[in-house]
Amino acid sequence: MKIQSNNEHDFKHMYEKTFSMLFRVSNNIVKNPDRAEELCQEAFTRFFDQAKVFPSENDAKYWLIRVTKNLSINVVKRKTRELKMIEKVKKEPSYHDKTGEEVLVDDVVCEQVMDAMSQLPEKLRLVITLKTYTDLDYKGIGKTLNISESNVKVRVFRARKMLEKILSQE
Amino acid sequence: MCLDDALLNSYLDGELQEPWKTQVEEHLSYCNGCKLRLNQLKELDKTLKSASLANDEIALRSQRVLEFFENNRFDTTQKTSFFKRKVQVNLVPALLTSAAAVVVVFIGSFVLFGSNNKQTSEILPEVMMPIESTQVDQVSAVEKTSLEDYSLSEIIHYLDSQGYAVKLEVKAVNPLEDTTKKED
Repeated sequence: MKIQSNNEHDFKHMYEKTFSMLFRVSNNIVKNPDRAEELCQEAFTRFFDQAKVFPSENDAKYWLIRVTKNLSINVVKRKTRELKMIEKVKKEPSYHDKTGEEVLVDDVVCEQVMDAMSQLPEKLRLVITLKTYTDLDYKGIGKTLNISESNVKVRVFRARKMLEKILSQE
Repeated sequence: MCLDDALLNSYLDGELQEPWKTQVEEHLSYCNGCKLRLNQLKELDKTLKSASLANDEIALRSQRVLEFFENNRFDTTQKTSFFKRKVQVNLVPALLTSAAAVVVVFIGSFVLFGSNNKQTSEILPEVMMPIESTQVDQVSAVEKTSLEDYSLSEIIHYLDSQGYAVKLEVKAVNPLEDTTKKED
């Protein structure tokens, strides 16, 4: 099925299918839900405004994930530069509507995982982020990141191994 | 021989192709060690997945961003025409209201602050008394610049000072009036 990115029907179709995964990927990189929301909006804006034609839904999806990922990484890079400049590293307050113990447990796990993920080298981190927070298979991840399928396989395996090690230490 | 992690990971992700997939499943059916390991990997994946925001919060954000596109990208032609129509109806009263508001604010500011302020009293002319009708006559007589307003001698004096030699001639025999007439 061809996807015309500035056609309202196609756009909404892609939007429904991909927004939550794009958001998760972005949030996992920038670690700030509001920023992630902005970045997703930016990615979809580009998607619409560039009026592209994708040969299939998957191609559109790869494109969207790639753009969101790149936007998010750029934000993080810019932010770390700024943070280094002012030497004021402060963690963003996490955004939650839940109350009570649930928040506590969730926050602890969330923080641990985010922390563990950020210790991975970028190559591994991106692959495991896409594997965990999108519905892409190895092939799709490979196409999104422009690496081979077997490379994805190896990286997923290594990333999980490292994460397991880091999380068990904490 | 037991399964290694690479194989289990691929199996977990559903990426294992057919002959191997059945073999792995067969091995898992009797090997508790590998089953345990697979469960550990599953747990890890679950933990990672749980470290993301809940669906309902994402749905909220998704809705918000979609509204942005509804308002800014889709069906813009239809929406602008509706908008324009609305503006045209409201334009005149809106302009009148704002003009009135500006006037009120302008006057009000002078009423409130102007009278006590030295600067504004310098800028604004002072209020004058109503002028009587006789005074109006006098003022307008002074302001008139027709030749009739000057006497002949004044005219001659003026022309003389400008370097003109003026010769006077009487046009008609009417000695009583010709002092106020002049020819040049």
